[in-house]
Amino acid sequence: MISFRDVTVTYPGGTVGLDGVTLDITPGEFVVVVGLSGAGKSTLVRSINGLVSVTEGELLVDGVHVDGAKPAQLRRLRSRIGMIFQSFNLVGRITVLQNVLVGRLHATPLLLSLVGYFRPADREKAFQSLERVGIVEKAYVRASQLSGGQQQRVAIARVLAQDPTVILADEPVASLDPPTAHMVMRDLERINDELGITTIVNLHFLDLARRYADRIIGMRDGRVVFDGPPSEANDDVFEQIYGRSLTAEDVLSAEEEAAEAALEAQAEADGEDAASRKATPA
Amino acid sequence: MTAPATAQRASTTRPRRPRPRVGTFVAILAVLVITVWAGDGIDFDLAPLWTDFGRGWFIIQEFLAPNWDYVGRTIGPFIETLSIAVIATLVGCTIGLAMSLLASRVTTANPILYRASKIFLSVVRSLPDVGYGLLFFAIVGAGSLAGILALIFFNIGIIAKLTSETIDAVDRGPLEAADATGASSLQRARFAVVPMILPNYLSYCLYVFELNIRASVVIGIVGGGGIGSSISVEFARFNYSNVSAIVVLLIVVVFLIDLLSQSVRRRLT
Repeated sequence: MISFRDVTVTYPGGTVGLDGVTLDITPGEFVVVVGLSGAGKSTLVRSINGLVSVTEGELLVDGVHVDGAKPAQLRRLRSRIGMIFQSFNLVGRITVLQNVLVGRLHATPLLLSLVGYFRPADREKAFQSLERVGIVEKAYVRASQLSGGQQQRVAIARVLAQDPTVILADEPVASLDPPTAHMVMRDLERINDELGITTIVNLHFLDLARRYADRIIGMRDGRVVFDGPPSEANDDVFEQIYGRSLTAEDVLSAEEEAAEAALEAQAEADGEDAASRKATPA
Repeated sequence: MTAPATAQRASTTRPRRPRPRVGTFVAILAVLVITVWAGDGIDFDLAPLWTDFGRGWFIIQEFLAPNWDYVGRTIGPFIETLSIAVIATLVGCTIGLAMSLLASRVTTANPILYRASKIFLSVVRSLPDVGYGLLFFAIVGAGSLAGILALIFFNIGIIAKLTSETIDAVDRGPLEAADATGASSLQRARFAVVPMILPNYLSYCLYVFELNIRASVVIGIVGGGGIGSSISVEFARFNYSNVSAIVVLLIVVVFLIDLLSQSVRRRLT
């Protein structure tokens, strides 16, 4: 359960990120936050794990205060909240597996982690996470050698390795092409379904929001201006959120079906790829 | 449609050539005045270069005839110099890496610790390599230990400066991601910062090794052991042909190590 109680975030320069936001997110929900850039959607997501500090009000995650948390408390809290970024934020020079193991650092004693040792159970967890996003065959490849979509899946695996109760995603598909964007959104949707992890995603594409969300939160000038199921979020609502009429740039693809077809084809090719790789002994 | 219009507008008024700045002339003049004043202050004179030339001629003649038979006896001291350089590089670079993590705001959030590290490193850098050589010669006496200790301090200063500046410029994204997983700042340094700076850091280490070979010669002259000590001894005995043999060999060794080190460094980055 995530509870915002009249939360305000003011940045050092005086910019207001959030302006008196009050809302509850119940466990297992798939929430998509939409709004123009600067509307406060990124601030909303980043305040939940304390990457952005709350200036006023109360913010609780599973009953624990994020506002005013001490560094050690904040680390404990963050270990249960996974985060996915627009630019993937992997360390390019280390392997995919090592990147995923970063998600196990919170559970690894300091000295062990400094010499680079992870316990078998943690390594197993990392491999399972990679299997869940279907990229385990790249475990020993350098992260920088993967494509954008593959890197984002590794980032999702890193989050899964944390064993989180909440996943935050800050514009996770903004640097990806449409079919890959759908693939990553589907991964998130599947994880939300199968593991029941509360998922909060920032998006600026309306079609993606309508399609994947259980609940849409619309933001404008740091305030929540819409909160409801996708069925209620019609074009009028979006025009209100955006403060202007909608254009083709507000959707990921005008030709949804073309993207769909490409997606199916790619998924099929991926499946065959994986199958053939499994068949070949290493 | 708009492009030609703006192009035309831009070409109608050519800017007038700006007047040469007075500041430039003043600066050049100041440099000249200071140079003349400094030379005058120490009675700078090039005359000894030719008036006293004949006096040193027999020394130069000895230099031009290196005593190659002596080379065999320099192998021991050369190996000592190399050993001093290797040990000092390893120890100095390891401590330097730890110090560089303390001396960057990216890895050290505590402002007092960060400031203290910066000041400590400035103090360490304020003494040149020969300064450390003389200092440790006074403390532990002549020998390779004095040379190693001197080079270690010399290396910490350089490595920590270069590496901490590299850490300052690192991509913050992966660091934020590590923070978001609940990792501690040391864990973040180990898994995000160090892998990103590693090629640069190793390149600095090799560079410092190159410097150490050269510096250990000078430090040896002031009592730090190795080939520098041999130069010092042969000079004192006026065996200039032996000195010149060492110098020729030294140039070859330094040149080879530089070549090797540079080719490795090129592959790193």
